[in-house]
Amino acid sequence: MRVTLGAAVAGAEPGLQAANALCGACVDLLGLDGAAISMIHDGFSHGTFGASSESSRRVDEFQFTFGEGPCFDAAAGRQAVMAPDLDSPSETRWPAFAGAVLGDGIRAVFAMPIMLTSVCVGALDLFRAQPGPLTAERLAGGLMAGNLAAIPLLDLIASTKSDPVDDEDPWLQLAELDRLEVYQATGMLISQLDVDAAEALVRLRAHAIATNQTASQVARSIVDRRLVLERDDIDERRSR
Amino acid sequence: MSDTRERDIIHAFVGLSNELVDGYDIVDLLTDWTENCARLLDVAAAGLLVADGRGVLHVVAASSERTHYLEVFQLQRDQGPCLDCFHAGTAVSVPDLQAEAHRWPEFARVAESVGFTSVHAVPMRLRDTVLGTFGLFGTTPGALNDEDLALAQALVHVASVALVNERSASDRQLVNAQLQHALTSRVVLEQAKGVLAAVGHLEMEDSFTVLRRYSRDHGHRLTDVAERVVKRELPGQELIDYARTASILF
Repeated sequence: MRVTLGAAVAGAEPGLQAANALCGACVDLLGLDGAAISMIHDGFSHGTFGASSESSRRVDEFQFTFGEGPCFDAAAGRQAVMAPDLDSPSETRWPAFAGAVLGDGIRAVFAMPIMLTSVCVGALDLFRAQPGPLTAERLAGGLMAGNLAAIPLLDLIASTKSDPVDDEDPWLQLAELDRLEVYQATGMLISQLDVDAAEALVRLRAHAIATNQTASQVARSIVDRRLVLERDDIDERRSR
Repeated sequence: MSDTRERDIIHAFVGLSNELVDGYDIVDLLTDWTENCARLLDVAAAGLLVADGRGVLHVVAASSERTHYLEVFQLQRDQGPCLDCFHAGTAVSVPDLQAEAHRWPEFARVAESVGFTSVHAVPMRLRDTVLGTFGLFGTTPGALNDEDLALAQALVHVASVALVNERSASDRQLVNAQLQHALTSRVVLEQAKGVLAAVGHLEMEDSFTVLRRYSRDHGHRLTDVAERVVKRELPGQELIDYARTASILF
């Protein structure tokens, strides 16, 4: 499962295509009828990014139409949110969203958090026509895919065009970001650039890609005070 | 067993169980616990590594926040006695790291560069599941005796109860959520250390001391303070100023 999910992201163009591919792989691997990636974080544009199909995109977008849904709860609680049966009388969390989703033939929704360091920036939403819980193995797969979704989201946020690391295993990229020195360096950037934790990680990774280094190498330079990123660094890059 | 040591051991157990009664901060509590363990077992450093939902090991708490030590702990995500202990679910003893360097060349090189010459790794279990591993690092070669190993295993069991509510042990999803909470707390703490290091031009270990003292002196949980610093709700400068006034920093 881990290998297939990784291959889906690695085999596609970075950003939206990789997000779509990851959603498609989830549908196949986890016995679903749809999957989509919601992005919800202040400072970045909100909405549905990747999706396994147009109908899944539509279902996911109901959350933004009504301003309620499992992706918001997953982000707020930084943990998976399960709705095994939206048609159950005991399911009262998102009445408007549930009504619309049921109208599209979806009964079960599961939202997996997508973390950028300590910040949950969105959720991988899994849709199924049949009600019922996710098996333990499928839940583990969903959480894994939620972790992996951070990579295409980072590419989207940073609008990375030509990606020098696109042939690299996305799990390795993820492991590079998940390190003490990266957390410490993002903390330093929060103060130095006056940005939030997610944006700090975006800047760190953008610098790594631009200078052909790993995130860990850049983080060490920042922590050892051999490198100071400029405040307007990303604006220049975006306007190119 | 000497009277002092016996008293220290009782203190370590009772301290932990008292803390468990009311709302506690898991990282702060486990940091205390690793400090107690390192002293009791007479090792230079101790670190607790816990696995996430994918089975990747992360540092949750350490007896010393020295960055070089933390790196030795983190390195065992890829190789080392702690990783072997986690996979096997049984203790791994390396009384002389130099003699067994070929088993984990990169780990041995880095561990020796910071002065560690012996390692003992004890598994942290919850019924049939291995949650993580507790590493004890010495600066002189030598094995822990059976009594010390048994003590380490007992202390690790108590810590596992702090980490995961035993009543939820059969619910894998709940266990994962509790572990994830501790791991996210650690990430927030590392970020807050970074913020203070940048604001006050501090070393990372001094940042940790400032965060911990500020939290305790103000009756807040360490993780809550770290979270507010990272979200820029609590200015890092306020903690630095407090630390200077309270003579934590000079």
